[in-house]
Amino acid sequence: MVDVAVVGAGQTKFGNHSLGLKGMWAESVENALASIDGDFDPSMVDEAFIGSIAFGGGQIGNTAALLTEHTGMDNIPVRRVENACASSGFAFRDAWMAIKSGQADIVVAGGIEKMNDLTPERKRYWLGVSGDTEWERLAGLTFPGTYALMARRHFHEYGSVHDDLVNISVKNHMHGLDNEFAHIRKDVSFDKAKNGFMVADPLTLYDCCPTSDGASTVILAADHVAKSLTKDPVWVLGSGAGSDHLALHDRPSITQMIATQRAAESAYSQAGITATDVDLAEVHDCFTIAELMATEDLGFAARGEGGIFAREGMGRLNEGNVTINPSGGLKSKGHPLGATGTGQIVEVFKQLRGEVENSRQVRDASIALTHNVGGSGATCAVHVFGRELK
Amino acid sequence: MSSPQCIDWQGNLACLQESGLVIKSRHVIGTKHVFGPDSDYTTLAISGLSLLSGEAIIKSIKIDSNLDEFTLQASGYTIDESGEWNVICDSNSASISISKSGILSWDVAGKEMDLEYYNQIMNAWENELSAVSQGAFVSEQSYRSGASSRINFNSQQLGDIRIWPPREMIGDQRPHEAEPLTKGGTIESWTKLSAGGAPSEFSLRAPILGGISTVYVRLDDGPCGVFLVADDDSGIPMIGNRVNFAVRRIYAQEGLIRYGLKVLLS
Repeated sequence: MVDVAVVGAGQTKFGNHSLGLKGMWAESVENALASIDGDFDPSMVDEAFIGSIAFGGGQIGNTAALLTEHTGMDNIPVRRVENACASSGFAFRDAWMAIKSGQADIVVAGGIEKMNDLTPERKRYWLGVSGDTEWERLAGLTFPGTYALMARRHFHEYGSVHDDLVNISVKNHMHGLDNEFAHIRKDVSFDKAKNGFMVADPLTLYDCCPTSDGASTVILAADHVAKSLTKDPVWVLGSGAGSDHLALHDRPSITQMIATQRAAESAYSQAGITATDVDLAEVHDCFTIAELMATEDLGFAARGEGGIFAREGMGRLNEGNVTINPSGGLKSKGHPLGATGTGQIVEVFKQLRGEVENSRQVRDASIALTHNVGGSGATCAVHVFGRELK
Repeated sequence: MSSPQCIDWQGNLACLQESGLVIKSRHVIGTKHVFGPDSDYTTLAISGLSLLSGEAIIKSIKIDSNLDEFTLQASGYTIDESGEWNVICDSNSASISISKSGILSWDVAGKEMDLEYYNQIMNAWENELSAVSQGAFVSEQSYRSGASSRINFNSQQLGDIRIWPPREMIGDQRPHEAEPLTKGGTIESWTKLSAGGAPSEFSLRAPILGGISTVYVRLDDGPCGVFLVADDDSGIPMIGNRVNFAVRRIYAQEGLIRYGLKVLLS
């Protein structure tokens, strides 16, 4: 079966943008095109998948058609992919499957979200639209509350503590400090993160990612095409996806994410690797507790030991077996919902090619992983990438 | 019923008498009983009827216009113009008489509520009623279709498994309707959301209340659920603590007050 490579990837800076949807998308496509060293133009794209929640309702219908016509990808099959915050992780998986199936040779996967042009009131109506509206929102929950329930239960079951979450926050802000594409580039001390404004007890402001504008674009190609487009492809070694009950109350446990476990198991199996082979991971840290749980669900830490993993700094840049969120993660880099999944892939594409700022380059990285979660864990896409085909 | 029994009941004050019951809000301003931050005549009536149903058979009730007929029906009560139990609201006080004949009375002292706080909450409810969703939305139809489960714990069963909230299919089977769940459970987790962290539906009241508390509860019959804490109780929930439930207002939007079961911490 055909192998699939990422041959180009780019994004906008995540944060507050003056550009609208079309402008942000064009900027991320331009950056992706610039990363391709071979002869390429957008008319060569066979198909496109663009992840977005359409936050705020600015362009809910036919988003992908609108965006691609402004970036030279006219008259090709396109669609918006919606899977909450995992929208573009799944857009990438769909693009990968389109090539794997033999239906396409060159496919664009991307994501986009515009979140900061709304009034605070309207924004809060849109935050949390991916939870169980009827049974969770009517109980006063949006995602800070949902993840706070997970955190307190994890503390109770496993003895993890809020300081473990603070360590994750400090680490990710440290990693994002030199990332030119990151939303929040500031050094955050342990004390500042520990004593932040309480958003949803026990989660403070420094446990929560920001709401960001942004777009990201990844260009995938079949192996027989990839080699003519770039001398330095990044290979997709495994693609896994999983789902789980949408509402917390229907899950057997609220301290682990079954969707992540299923997605990781599938991706590792396809790639022929285990968690110990991964050099760097872009993990979906929408809240610090989400990263703590992910380190367990992805197999970097044993069940219940995510707190210890964070406490001992095992995810810090070039300090342990695996660097977690060298981009700064959602916490620092930002979280433009639909753009986050392919934004993670932009980061690992550059990391594996040795193209990020020296200060945050993972040394000798050959295997990378992305982990993109929808909402509170109802959907998850995990991808494994390598410098070499296995 | 024997001699009067006057007790604290679901955050209210209730007095069972020979021919019925009087139930009042525990809050007073001066000598007048006033509603708490998420209570009204309807929640008071449901609380009173639940106490009375332990003492007498309630086949049907007759209600006045202060009460929300749909919510009382969703609570499991049959409403009839010639109902045997007459639920009468005191228009001057947060007090209700439930009896087969006449209006019962009972004088009891309450806990003083700050007038300014009371006015802020009542104004917020008035404004909330006219609020319009700008995003996530539970429609009136959607709310009503799930109301008996939300208000009365109506449940389903498949084999030995009790199911709540309701599900459509499990595997290739549809669960069948079952008796309401018992209204007790144990806290498994909790959080308190700041005003900024709460959904927009609560944005008018959350700043006045100092945030809203939500608990994750394993119910005695097996299922789990997420619930708001009743009465803006400022007590801190504890994992492992036992809780009971009572019907309260949840939020109002587009002219409709949504009711549901909330957790009683004490």
